Amino acid sequence: MKPQKITRIAIANRGEVAVRIIKACEEMGIETVLLHSEVDMGTRAYRMATKTICIGPAPTSESYLNIQANIDGALAGGAQAVHPGFGFLSENADFAQACMDAGLIFIGPSPKATRTLGDKVNCKALAQKLGLPLVPGYQGANQELKHLIHEAERIGFPCIVKAAAGGGGRGMKVLRTKEEAGELIESAQREAQSAFGSAQVFLEKYLDRAKHIEFQIFGDASGKVHNLFDRECSVQRRHQKIIEEAISPSLTPETRKKMGEAACLIAESAGYQGAGTVEFLYQDGEFYLLEVNTRLQVEHPVTEMVVGVDLVKAQILTAQGEPVFNSKNPMIPRGHSIECRLYAENPYLGGVPSTGVLGKVEWPEGPGRRYEYGFEEGDEITSFYDPMIAKVIVWDETRPRAIQKMIRVLKDSVVFGVHTNIPYLIEILSHPEFVSGEMTTRFIEKHFSEPLQVQVLTEQEKQIAEEVAKQLAPTAAENRIISETSPFQTFWRGI
Amino acid sequence: MITQVTINGKTIPVLAQKVKGQIWIHFNGRTFQYEDESKKKFGSQSSQTGHAGDILAPMPGKVTKILKQAGDSVSKGEAVIVMEAMKMEYTLKSDGDGVIQKIGCKLGEQVSLGKVLAHIDPKKEGQA
Repeated sequence: MKPQKITRIAIANRGEVAVRIIKACEEMGIETVLLHSEVDMGTRAYRMATKTICIGPAPTSESYLNIQANIDGALAGGAQAVHPGFGFLSENADFAQACMDAGLIFIGPSPKATRTLGDKVNCKALAQKLGLPLVPGYQGANQELKHLIHEAERIGFPCIVKAAAGGGGRGMKVLRTKEEAGELIESAQREAQSAFGSAQVFLEKYLDRAKHIEFQIFGDASGKVHNLFDRECSVQRRHQKIIEEAISPSLTPETRKKMGEAACLIAESAGYQGAGTVEFLYQDGEFYLLEVNTRLQVEHPVTEMVVGVDLVKAQILTAQGEPVFNSKNPMIPRGHSIECRLYAENPYLGGVPSTGVLGKVEWPEGPGRRYEYGFEEGDEITSFYDPMIAKVIVWDETRPRAIQKMIRVLKDSVVFGVHTNIPYLIEILSHPEFVSGEMTTRFIEKHFSEPLQVQVLTEQEKQIAEEVAKQLAPTAAENRIISETSPFQTFWRGI
Repeated sequence: MITQVTINGKTIPVLAQKVKGQIWIHFNGRTFQYEDESKKKFGSQSSQTGHAGDILAPMPGKVTKILKQAGDSVSKGEAVIVMEAMKMEYTLKSDGDGVIQKIGCKLGEQVSLGKVLAHIDPKKEGQA
């Protein structure tokens, strides 16, 4: 491919990842066109983008998942390239193809590479051919409920049902008995249909004390796939990651090397270009290839922190046909980085989503702290989309210091207007099993299956609260001041 | 917005704000809400129309599956309604044994927080 400078990129996404892409573009002198839904005008990305184009109503199927609307928006905005972020259409080969057909550069792997690796069934077939270890399962085309239940029995319980086209925990359920299998498979199929537009699912043996370890790989314009090392994401609730770190505290240098080589091998054999992640399960010293995510990951910042790269910039450079990494100068991870996903949810009610208008939001700066957020004071968190409102990332020399720092940073952070999982995150970070680094994907289920104990206010907190309540109660005098400073009056006085 | 309060002559830095009528406070690494005890009695909690055993929407979202009909009996832990919010499915189960008196929602309906989705008549002691 001939190097071609991109001058305007359309962003087919929302929230913090849209902001992340805009920031990389700003740095590279590239203009942005945010393709947004009707309800996403009050977001940080909307305020930051060079141009904004509304592509449809709030439901994702009519906006963020609508291929034609995104293509039309990108063309109307005069963009040369489209960045899909993560989630939504980021792993949709038809979207990548539609971009190409419309003369737009899709910032990501080719439709062919996405079809090979992004489709979990095809990916497993390739892994098998390459002799890479896989978890036993069923990836057949027969999607009849009866047949799926039969296959689940063959694999043996517990097993797991997953959306063939997806990620992020949607359309994913653990089946523990034959009795509950039918209902759960159907539920997974509905979630898969709603989140990814395809109800296809597959089954897999459920490893009960495995760690989730993944490798960031990057195929740059030179054609080589580079190993950017591992992340551990074992802290998951309902298969949704909550805390991620780089690099994993559990791998020996030999295993790390073997897994990294396996990751690069499968990507290279698919002709992979761009940022990608090869996910593994790791149990008792053995690793099993799980799937490949053919996109940028939510947790990409922890890799950026320890390896010293800018993955979004690297994606754009690759789309422009420029090589990014130098094989003669191998990357070596340094220190430790942790990311916490901040969800708008009530930790005292078992994590039910918390929606509403954001009040004051504060992310205090400090050495080794990084915040990725998509919403600011006055923005509304709705129930239409993912509840993740921000990511908090820290870096320090060692894992224990990074954990200490993260706890401090979470305590310093302020979000008013909606509940967040901050108290829950602090509990997890303080748990001995997390501190030891031995946690498995069942960590949350084992130690945090119950909602957090409702906060009991200390005497001092109560005193403060009462004082605050007194001050914030509108007095007659205050009401008068408000009417006197009405913009209509002061405006005319000013003339 | 408040950035400090004075208690017993001592000035303490806090962050506090009223958002949509609700007071939020951040102090010493914790965020909490303040509820006025005197107002609590008349708060929405007690005016909830749900009875013991009823299934309420735990969040705003869409009803994606109704597994039981009026007249069906349910046992503790049995799934009655499936909701979708923020792209995740939540299965709402019965708290105890009983009989569905009425389903309070339609398939595909967007429901608000706290809506009674199913009225359940709890089974009385000694009943068959």
